[in-house]
Amino acid sequence: MKNINIKSIASGLLAFSMLFFYSCEFEDQIDPNNPNLQQYNQDATVNELNNIVVGMESGMRNGYTLYVTSTGTIARELYLFNADPRNTEELLGKNGGQLDNNVFYLNGPYNGSYTNVKNANILLNALDNTEFVSDQEANGYRGFANTVIALQELRVLNMLDENGIRIDVADPDNLGPFVSKDAALTHIADLLNTANTQLGNAGAEFPFSLSSGFDGFNTPETFAQFNRALAARVAIYREEWAAVPGFLEDSFFDLNGDLTVGPKHSFSTASGDLLNGLFKIPGNNGDMIVVHDRLTQGEDTLDLRVIRKMAKRENAASQDDLNGDYETALYPSPTSPVDIIRNEELVLISAEAKLQSGDIAGAIADLDIIRNSAGLDPYSGVETTAAVTDELLEQRQYSLWCEGHTMVDLRRYGRLNADNLPIDREGDQVFSQFPVPLTELD
Amino acid sequence: MKKQYLLMIILFLMGTYSYAQDRVIEGTVVSASDGLPLIGATVVKKGSTSGATTDLDGRFKLEISEPEILVVSFIGFAQKEVAVNPDQTGDLNISLEEDITKLNEVVVSGLASSVKRSNLGNAVATVSAEELTGMTNQPTMDNALYGKVTGVNITSSSGAPGGGIAMRLRGVTSITGNNQPLFIIDGVYVSNAEIPSGLRNASGANSGNEENASNRIADLAPSDIENIEVLKGPSAAAIYGARANAGVVIITTKRGKRGETRVNLTQDVGFSTIQRKVGIGQRNWTPALVGETFGPDEVARYNAALNGRGLVDYEEEIYGETGLITDTKISATGGSEKTKFYVGASLRDEEGIIKNTGYTRASVRANIDHQLTDRIKFTTSSNFVNSTTQRGFTGNENEGGLSVGYNMAFTRPWANLYPDEFGNYPDNPNAAGNMLLVRDQALNDEVINRYIQGASIDISLYETDQSFLKFKWNGGFDTYNLETYVYVPEYHQAQRGLQNGFIGVGKNSIFNTNNQGFLVWDNYLSGGSVQLTSQVGYTYITFDRDLVYNQATQLIPGQTTLGQSGTQEFDQTLQNVREFGFFAQQEVNYEDKIIGTLGIRADKSTLNAEQNQFYYFPKASIALNLANFDFWNLDLFNQFKLRAAYGETGSSATFGSLYTSFQAVNIGGSPGVSVGGLRGSENLIPETASEFETGIDVTLLENKLSFTATYYNRNISDLILQRALQPSSGFGLEVTNLADLQNQGLELALNASPVQNENFVWTSTTNFWFNRSNVTRLDVPPFAPAGSGFGLGLGTAFIEEGQPVTQLKGTIDGEVVTVGDAEPDFQTSFLNNFTIFKNFDFSFLIHVKQGGSNLNLTTYLTDLAGLTGDLDDPSGIERTSNPNTDRFIEDASYMRLREIALYYRLPESAVSVFNGAVNKIKIGASGRNLWTITPYTGYDPEVSAKGGAGLSTGLDVNPFPSTKQVYVHLALEF
Repeated sequence: MKNINIKSIASGLLAFSMLFFYSCEFEDQIDPNNPNLQQYNQDATVNELNNIVVGMESGMRNGYTLYVTSTGTIARELYLFNADPRNTEELLGKNGGQLDNNVFYLNGPYNGSYTNVKNANILLNALDNTEFVSDQEANGYRGFANTVIALQELRVLNMLDENGIRIDVADPDNLGPFVSKDAALTHIADLLNTANTQLGNAGAEFPFSLSSGFDGFNTPETFAQFNRALAARVAIYREEWAAVPGFLEDSFFDLNGDLTVGPKHSFSTASGDLLNGLFKIPGNNGDMIVVHDRLTQGEDTLDLRVIRKMAKRENAASQDDLNGDYETALYPSPTSPVDIIRNEELVLISAEAKLQSGDIAGAIADLDIIRNSAGLDPYSGVETTAAVTDELLEQRQYSLWCEGHTMVDLRRYGRLNADNLPIDREGDQVFSQFPVPLTELD
Repeated sequence: MKKQYLLMIILFLMGTYSYAQDRVIEGTVVSASDGLPLIGATVVKKGSTSGATTDLDGRFKLEISEPEILVVSFIGFAQKEVAVNPDQTGDLNISLEEDITKLNEVVVSGLASSVKRSNLGNAVATVSAEELTGMTNQPTMDNALYGKVTGVNITSSSGAPGGGIAMRLRGVTSITGNNQPLFIIDGVYVSNAEIPSGLRNASGANSGNEENASNRIADLAPSDIENIEVLKGPSAAAIYGARANAGVVIITTKRGKRGETRVNLTQDVGFSTIQRKVGIGQRNWTPALVGETFGPDEVARYNAALNGRGLVDYEEEIYGETGLITDTKISATGGSEKTKFYVGASLRDEEGIIKNTGYTRASVRANIDHQLTDRIKFTTSSNFVNSTTQRGFTGNENEGGLSVGYNMAFTRPWANLYPDEFGNYPDNPNAAGNMLLVRDQALNDEVINRYIQGASIDISLYETDQSFLKFKWNGGFDTYNLETYVYVPEYHQAQRGLQNGFIGVGKNSIFNTNNQGFLVWDNYLSGGSVQLTSQVGYTYITFDRDLVYNQATQLIPGQTTLGQSGTQEFDQTLQNVREFGFFAQQEVNYEDKIIGTLGIRADKSTLNAEQNQFYYFPKASIALNLANFDFWNLDLFNQFKLRAAYGETGSSATFGSLYTSFQAVNIGGSPGVSVGGLRGSENLIPETASEFETGIDVTLLENKLSFTATYYNRNISDLILQRALQPSSGFGLEVTNLADLQNQGLELALNASPVQNENFVWTSTTNFWFNRSNVTRLDVPPFAPAGSGFGLGLGTAFIEEGQPVTQLKGTIDGEVVTVGDAEPDFQTSFLNNFTIFKNFDFSFLIHVKQGGSNLNLTTYLTDLAGLTGDLDDPSGIERTSNPNTDRFIEDASYMRLREIALYYRLPESAVSVFNGAVNKIKIGASGRNLWTITPYTGYDPEVSAKGGAGLSTGLDVNPFPSTKQVYVHLALEF
């Protein structure tokens, strides 16, 4: 009796085990937490495409804060005093040290920019493989995407400069080579032109919407004005002075208009959104953007831009043998938007193009618009190219303080060096560009 | 189908034999030292499976028909063989000697079989309850192992009460995956996860592993443990297949014993204090020095402080508390012939050395064994744990103003952080947060409710004198809810105007199950001289995690719940893993002279790209007991064993490695998608480790001295790397099989009992071990693994072909060079127990780690702040004038008195005053980590700022300082 019982138990157990064995066929795994990239390769829907557009607008802010503070530190327009000491050591070349090629202040802006380029390339690829959008709508997406790529690549190039950048990055397994600075600038200019053409064939409305940061620039026509403004910026980098007026003409440039007009990066406290990392709590310690003292000496403090953008601290800030009396007040709140490009810069671009084309009087007239807005008297210095160039860079410095321009501007005019910038501590150095990231090397 | 045939053969083709059983012999088994009966000792006819176990009086009965040799064994005692013949009359009195060499101890050899240590082909370390917790009170199981087992390296990612330990067996086995062993408690695969609380979203720490979360093996009450077996590498752990690359730790909890019910009550009371302070802010301040360091304005503040409160030693203020520890344990064991039980409860309450930190663990356990019929045995093991932790804020951060260590590093001694008469805390003038405010008013709490249930059934299917067939099933589940709660008030200086208060609430559910079934067939051939043990079986494992994290900022002042806020964020991560495997193993034992094992395990997992492909993990081992051969005539040796073993194991990629996914982003309230950092790999295979191990075990001088030496060579191939991609591709990381790694090492252990007499017993264990690693293949250029450091400038782990995987690279004069190696040169430990005049027990454990570098970035920060104590000394001047990475590298060697204890067992005469209400009384005092010699200048050379996973050792960034503890103990047995 017992034996039979045991046998049936055994057979039962074994049958159970065998059943188990055969029922253990695992299904294909899909990511339970996130959408899969693959689904954009074929027949992406308008909703899916628009999700990437939102992702791209959001992604334009990737690494922007570090871009501004890192280039700004090198250009001695600001210090970042926070928990990471490398902001005051490596970026200022303390004790003869060098810039790291595998570090947050480089990788952050670099990777952030190329992540967004990837988003754009996914969008472009999806457009080639879907039938859910018309040609006209596709042009709208493409014009948007190519403009964003150009802006992102320009930011990387501004950091790496003579090291050049990669421009052919659509296939992650076959990245193109690093191209020279000139080739990269040409590519960026061409890309902006391509985008401008596409925007011209995109009808009256985009099939997607943008955040409030692009209010006034959210149709193909008005977005193209933003595109042309960027083209003007690239043109002065390329010293194609003659092309500048045409680009300005097609942009939102307005000598008599509101200097603050322009598209913006917006920020909000919405779930998943970012806060403006360049906002710092007034009077805080331990995390400060401190104005370099060279900008706040004597009469400078009467400049409305200094009064508006910079605030005198109750206790002077000091860290790592660096000191500053003023801190940033550029953004009043953590949700304040950041200008991508605004009329004020376009007026300065206009002045620069005129100056470089020999129209010194025209340049001074443009600069006086800026001076006037800053509560300063009209320009009264000598009217030589050299003197007005000094004046131009001075005005750019204050108008575009803490916006990622000063390093590029000083470099363009050969002034990004110890002869033209103060050395705060013995042994500090002025770097002119960032190295190629370690992980980018072949 | 094949299996079914096999069973048929087993069931029907085997004949049954019957013997003339005409004599019953009886006897008693006693302990040689005190003559007390041994209950549950086994008496088996040599070369067969038939035998008896002793009853409550130590007595046994056995039928024999011809002259036999009886093999008498009992755990903890040397095995003895006694010749008997049927004509014999009268009682046999068999006395067993205590065994210090553990030769007779039973060790797991397969998933469903075990083998005597003397026959083992591997080096398997076993730690008994006495060794684990007998000396001093142990806060967590993993911590208790250090120094007691060769080949183990432990680092602490936090000195906070409640755990935070990383354990490595025989070096690093994975670069991105888990380097921590698989933990199995009573047959249940248990989670040892570190689940972050999300406080990085307030502190600005770089990733979850910088949050210093506790590891969940801390939930296991060490007092419940009967013994721990450590399978250090694939040669021993191959049968655990795809989860065993980092070794396996098999924990067996205490079970009931037949006999009178015994109740044990122990009460420990202890005090915890900081091991050492590093002297932050302790320079010889003068107005001149203050002015020179911080500028002229600071002198006025310095003078104001001198005229007021004076200078404050904030290190003392924050870390200077004495934490009270109470640990109460009560357990009852007993049982009848059929049913045995162990029930235990413990309550541990531990205060940290930072005010408002602490840990409370309440644990209840019930282990029941029941003999259903002669042939069916059933066991169940249940454990419920409730623990609450106040972790405090320590470690790395970025501008959050929360980590007390990080902010202390910048806080000058004349800064006033104390609250005013209205309870308002001033802002820290030197750092992003006021440590006193954080300590007193911010919260970082964890609550765990955990239930672990295991069960097993043994069915004896078929049994003769020469063979038996057994079916065994065991399985269980481990489930817990981990709730985390982080709160930073809105008036904290880094919150005002930004997040305006922060609440992070984690609700994490974990549900793991495993079950396995086996058929085990034992068979004796050639008159018992050859023993064959065969087993086949399957394993099915599931892991389900649902991690929900909710965050609120822009808080309504004073409010502490999620809804009372302007901004909320939600995040949910699901991780479901299924694994299935089967295995087969054959063991052969020829007269305890030659013992061989062959086995194979096959596993598939949803973590692999080919989720239905089986990966095979073979093993083989052989042990030669030379002293058992007839030609061996050196009586000096009780055992002389040569052994060799080979095995393979695997480790799959972490969840999510296969997917190339978008992540959700947002701008202005509109949801969107953006490329995530990770590029998934479509042909990811598990990393596999193959290990060859060989060794020698020698026991001599009547078991008074034993020596074990083991050499191993482990090659891990297709190592899974999280490789940084060229970021212009749009992806930051890719998970791929790209490298091979070799670990080689030597482990020596010497056990001795030099003196054993009535009034003095001395036993001593000396361990020595080291490991060397070498990256033998790397298909990509050398690189710094993501998250293993803070960039080359500050030093980082660096994967490079031909170099140790633990090397640290940094920059010297702009060149990338090796600046250190986290791997110790060697470690050695020295454990001694003395029993003096029968009633006094004195023991101590000294542990030495020689070599191994740490990156002391705590000092780096205080240097920057101008607050390191030695800045005016030559060492500080030299350090601060060096711009290169090597200035942070420090030798992390140490010699530590890890445990020391003295106990007194009251003599029977004293105990008898309780009229039998109490059987035994023991009192004692002990200490942990009381004394350390080290050149390291940080808090503790055992440190890891980045948690337990990956290449995290040796990074020192303002940790929760390690503590030392003293205890008094009282133990009563009823």
